[in-house]
Amino acid sequence: MSNQRGSAALRVTAPSLGMLAVAVLGLAVGSYWQYVLAVSLSAAIVGGGLAMLVGYARCITIATGAMLAIGAYGAAVPVIRLDIPFLAALAFATALGALAGIVLAVPGVRFRSHNLAMVTFVFQAVVIIALRESKGLTGGAEGLNVPSPTLLGLTFRDDAAFLLLCGVLAALIILPLAVLLEGPFGKNLRAVAGNENAARAFGIEVSHHLIAAFAWSSAVIAFAGALSAPRYRIIDPDSYGILASIFTLAYPIIGGMGSIWGGLVGGGVLRIVPELLRPLADYIELIFCVLVVLTLTFFPDGMASAGLRWLRPRRRGEAAAPAPARAQQAAPVAALLSSTAAIAGKPAHRVMPPADGALLAVAGVSKAYGALRAVNGVSLAVPPRALHGLMGPNGAGKTTLFNIISGFVAADAGSMALAGEPLEAVAIERRIGLGMTRTFQHAAVFHSLSCLDNVVIGLGRNGVWRTTWRSAQAAIDAGATRAERHAALAALDCVGLAARAREPAGALSLGDQRRLEIARAIVSRPLLTLLDEPVSGLAVEEAHRMRELLLAINRDLGIAMVVIEHNIGFLVSLCRRISVMSEGSVIAEGDAARVVEDPGVRHAYFGEREAVA
Amino acid sequence: MIAEFIMIVVGGIKFGAIYALAAIGIVVIHKATRTVNFAHGAFVLMGAYACYGVVEGLGLGYGAAFVLAPLAAGALAAAIELAILRPIRQADSFAVITSTIFIGIGLSELYRLVQNTEMLALPNPVPGPPLFLGDAVVTREQIWVVAGAVLAGLIGLAIFGYARIGRGMRAMAANPRGAALCGYSADAVNALAWFLGGALAGLAGVFAAPSKGVSAELAISMITAGFVAAVIGGFDSLRGALMGGFILGVAETLAAGYVSSATKSAVSFLLLFVILLWRPQGLFPEAKIRDV
Repeated sequence: MSNQRGSAALRVTAPSLGMLAVAVLGLAVGSYWQYVLAVSLSAAIVGGGLAMLVGYARCITIATGAMLAIGAYGAAVPVIRLDIPFLAALAFATALGALAGIVLAVPGVRFRSHNLAMVTFVFQAVVIIALRESKGLTGGAEGLNVPSPTLLGLTFRDDAAFLLLCGVLAALIILPLAVLLEGPFGKNLRAVAGNENAARAFGIEVSHHLIAAFAWSSAVIAFAGALSAPRYRIIDPDSYGILASIFTLAYPIIGGMGSIWGGLVGGGVLRIVPELLRPLADYIELIFCVLVVLTLTFFPDGMASAGLRWLRPRRRGEAAAPAPARAQQAAPVAALLSSTAAIAGKPAHRVMPPADGALLAVAGVSKAYGALRAVNGVSLAVPPRALHGLMGPNGAGKTTLFNIISGFVAADAGSMALAGEPLEAVAIERRIGLGMTRTFQHAAVFHSLSCLDNVVIGLGRNGVWRTTWRSAQAAIDAGATRAERHAALAALDCVGLAARAREPAGALSLGDQRRLEIARAIVSRPLLTLLDEPVSGLAVEEAHRMRELLLAINRDLGIAMVVIEHNIGFLVSLCRRISVMSEGSVIAEGDAARVVEDPGVRHAYFGEREAVA
Repeated sequence: MIAEFIMIVVGGIKFGAIYALAAIGIVVIHKATRTVNFAHGAFVLMGAYACYGVVEGLGLGYGAAFVLAPLAAGALAAAIELAILRPIRQADSFAVITSTIFIGIGLSELYRLVQNTEMLALPNPVPGPPLFLGDAVVTREQIWVVAGAVLAGLIGLAIFGYARIGRGMRAMAANPRGAALCGYSADAVNALAWFLGGALAGLAGVFAAPSKGVSAELAISMITAGFVAAVIGGFDSLRGALMGGFILGVAETLAAGYVSSATKSAVSFLLLFVILLWRPQGLFPEAKIRDV
């Protein structure tokens, strides 16, 4: 799917052009169908908004009805009471929608899945109650008469004129949405939906991204509500109720959650279906429900994606072809130096490694879970460019120590510093900026993103404002992202995955996913990367290649590594120094070959293994 | 004054008992299959409708309804699990949750299409003069509902907590592969959990039908109440769900009695919000095993 050719600008403007085309073609049909097309265009806008929130961020929202109502009333009330121009009222309603999205999301994004759905349900119910009760402003349950929009002295009462207005305005509002979804912002949302921990480790602030998604999506939905209200002539709170919310949720699901097109087509088509099936009007809700369940069962990517796949079967064949080339020779790691140098001229991190002393200094760090002392007074000093091994039986606290160093777990006691900078007060998302990255014990790649996009995220330029700006840049000038892609491709080349850059990461084997994680961890050229069991589950040959790769990265890029591994042969051949942990404490540390001969280590480590065997 | 207060609280306990049954069903399904069932309100509606069918349609009386309606709702739930959710579960929780939302709405729509009336009324299952507690009046129906629902809830609790099938469900929730290796069939255990949860929902429907009437509204109001009660209880605690039901029922009737009837639904939203934000583990969390 990411195999689309053509310039970024065309991809971003195509949805808007589609909207305009529908409006223009609609001029040929009768007045009634022009009316239907106009409301269908506004449903398409709703679907587009939901594509962001439901399709990309995978948040289940039941507040769409409330957002539509906020838009409809937010535009109609100022027009009626204050007599302000339609376009100003439309802009006001859109801003109100964004604000409502933020109000909903700030407490809401502390939750996921069913609890988040329930919070949106509460928001929906409260908004409708408020609209019904504030009779003075909204007319209460009786409803509100919405006048036809006027623009430049023209009143858009005629169906054809209104359809054109809808087409132009829909094209305008969909444009920024497409820019965001096609660009890095949409990819970051997918990363968040795919694996939050990995997203955070690479600088994606999850709640910021989700709040932004709620704000954008709500603004767009409110815009659609404001736009369609004049066509309904009378609006009342109950037509924006819970059922409206749920049936709009069907738009992106049936249409497809893989791109903005799914939401647009889903919304546009599903809004027309009831008009086509007039004799079945009573059954339409039931048909929707059945369609949704069938889609989720048989076409989890949605009808639009299923259609696209059917239209382009050859693409899949092409994508599958390079698979045998997996054993390709990896490019020399040093090539990454020159290609990352092209990005803003320097590595992502801002601190410089100290000339002498420790790069990573961990002193007396402890963490207890109840009575279990997972990490107990651990100290560790890793010099710049060092390869430091960390071994110990299962449950020794190695991964907990990694989680403390990378910020996922707060230590009870002790201190940590990277290149002299204290780490305690630094949020997880900011630690990549200090020059520290990590991999995960269970390979944590973003399955739905291409390998290339996985690695681009590893560059760590992922603050929500920065990502928004990068998305805009990417749409205007394809060259702006060329440096990023170039660096990511170079990193993929280092680990031998360049040929699979465009394939979704989820299609890779475990070994390749681990290599992809390495590429993502080194592309920002950090000072230090933490590798959690890089060869677990790999075949001997793959482990050997991994060792060569890590040695080359260390030698050519000067990246220090702390490596957790149970494969002792691998660890001893990779690292010069090894620390051994047992029951939360470091029981031995020293020269790799000598540490494994230490009697205490043999007792704690091999003793247990013999007992298990 | 005191008499009025007692009557309001007793009324709240009655609805609370019904909410508790619905909530226990939600928790049983969630504990065993890690699925939040948004179709649960529709299961309650199906139970209430089956009760109407047995009592008014077949003229078999409430005794038969108490057996047949939960069986019907449970069978429906198990069928939905086996036919629809089992294949979807391979994907992710998003697909399963949205499926239950649309299954719930679909069932309510189906009911609306078949039974296109305002509301179906049922006779009082335990007619007779009310009882007096000082000045307070307590109806036989209130006692009947509370006693019956609590008993049924405790039986459900006992099955899940102590019987072999309950052990299977908990094992399946904790570690599906491990449970499968121990000889539990995942499909059978999941279907059984859905049957049990659905049956509890159906029973809630039988208890709710005489006083609330049978209508599509029942589905929405019961999924909200059941979900809020489950959240109050910590979502994974059966005892918590029982207590959560009572707390919600009493809070709602107190608000309706002393503030205004419009605040009734606001109370459940307020409770949900406050608990989720300040105590997401609920008021009665299970022993913290999953935290480590």
